Amino acid sequence: MDFNGLSIDQAPPISGPLRFFITAPLFGIMAGVMLLFSDSASLMSRYSMDAIVIVHLITIGLFGFIMLGALTQMLSVLAGANIPKVKLISSLSHLFLLVGLVFMVFGLQESNSIALEFASLFLGSGFLCLILPMLYAISRVQHFTASVKGMRVSLLFALMIVLMGVYLLYGYSQNNITELHAIVANIHSVWAVFGFAGVLIIGVAFQVLPMFYVAPRFKQFCKKRVVLLISTGLFIWMFLSLYAEEYALYAKLWIVTFFWAFATTVWIKFNKRKRPISDVTVWYWRAASIFLTLGSFLWIFDEFFKHQYIVMVGILIGGGFILSIMLGMLYKIVPFLVWFHLNAEGYMTIPTMNEMINKNLSRAQFVLFIAALIGFVFAFYMPMVLFPSAVAFIVSMMLLEYNVLAPVWIYIQTKKRKPDFDMSSFSMTN
Amino acid sequence: MSNIKEYLTNDHRRCDDVFAKMEDKANNKLSDAKELTLEFIADMERHFQREERIVFPEFETKTGMINGPTEMMRQEHSQMRNLMQQLLGAIENDDKDKFFGLSETLMILLQQHNMKEEQMLYTMAQQHLSAEAQRIVEMMDSLVVE
Repeated sequence: MDFNGLSIDQAPPISGPLRFFITAPLFGIMAGVMLLFSDSASLMSRYSMDAIVIVHLITIGLFGFIMLGALTQMLSVLAGANIPKVKLISSLSHLFLLVGLVFMVFGLQESNSIALEFASLFLGSGFLCLILPMLYAISRVQHFTASVKGMRVSLLFALMIVLMGVYLLYGYSQNNITELHAIVANIHSVWAVFGFAGVLIIGVAFQVLPMFYVAPRFKQFCKKRVVLLISTGLFIWMFLSLYAEEYALYAKLWIVTFFWAFATTVWIKFNKRKRPISDVTVWYWRAASIFLTLGSFLWIFDEFFKHQYIVMVGILIGGGFILSIMLGMLYKIVPFLVWFHLNAEGYMTIPTMNEMINKNLSRAQFVLFIAALIGFVFAFYMPMVLFPSAVAFIVSMMLLEYNVLAPVWIYIQTKKRKPDFDMSSFSMTN
Repeated sequence: MSNIKEYLTNDHRRCDDVFAKMEDKANNKLSDAKELTLEFIADMERHFQREERIVFPEFETKTGMINGPTEMMRQEHSQMRNLMQQLLGAIENDDKDKFFGLSETLMILLQQHNMKEEQMLYTMAQQHLSAEAQRIVEMMDSLVVE
């Protein structure tokens, strides 16, 4: 019998998730800087190199890193699943992804085929060396909750989009862009957004909202069926867009219905939550519901306008929904990890979670981030808005980096100073 | 049929409700929240003792796992007891920021603790102790908090 999930000795060391969290905002800054130097017209095409590079700095570098970091932590708490050799695997994966992403940016910008080959190799192995052990760990879980099922489905989608991504990058490296390339790219992007990120967020929300905000629980129907219904919708959509594109809209409607319902449900649950607190994470959840609703409707609307709004859909759903939730979660998970590890090691005189990140700075970060998103949407009509929005985005990412580093700094300083009267010598974890 | 998992899980949700009420009161006026804070601490203490004095020893005897998951849970209980005492201190000093800093930390600690228990420990306890579930639930019901 596997009891390891309950032992802090087996829980991932703090460096595992933090490594990912500290790096993530740097890619956000990089994406923002590239936006500054991009031509807004080329960004309006989803297949322009600039757009592909910026999108992947954000999807892999920013939310990919945050999701993987969070999963190394959440799998043991939410599922009692232990990733084998988690310390080694997470540092390897982090290193490979970091190197792979840099090769990808360089390779796509400079059309350098060797860099692109390295990129597909490193990104592919970086993702797989973490996704496969996670799936293995989940396969050994005995008691499945709705959240664990969501995580498993999400990781299966992750596996497929990574394989597709490797194929796509390799295509660029060989300068071999076939008709199949565009089809795979389309599936890759839709499955990444709704299958990997969307399902993961929904799965985790089932458990996190009722528990952390004392909000009403999700109905059994949601918990038992929604992930399955969405996944089925995503497969049907794939087949329709391959073989009967004129009907693909129906599958899209199917998928969007559940996501829109989720957005509404989240909003209502926050209204009905019993905890009175309203911090930046609550604001992020609220913003995510609004952006998801707008993005879902626009995705359908876009179908009737020859996909000219697809980049806007990406900004609303990718930035407004997925990224908002990732950032909101960071504001909880980083201070908690620091507090928990220090406290479990016996340091008693440590700041509380709320004292680790300056409230005004986290609010400023939120406001700038949302302003940047709204600016990006309007840049579609007014190209001159792009520049100030990119600046706002860069500053918000710098603030995010600072806000992530502040608790980490407390951790390092506390361990270094070893305050008097602490109990670290009695610790269970030393 | 009596079910240990259900019984203790319901206990968690009851404590969550009192916690939310306590925060709500404190949000209006911190000094008014003292009574609810004491009620919350008492409810939590009763729950901890149901585990530490009844379920954990039964589980340990049955499975032979003495330094395993139950020990980890005891340690987290002590982390929570410590934070709860600090909550009272914050009320005495009328320090609202401190109170909510502590309550937030406590909430996250509490919920990740509850997830581990509900996901793993209670399920196992129910499996191993199903024959004695009735007796154990009755003992928990009639526990006198020390």
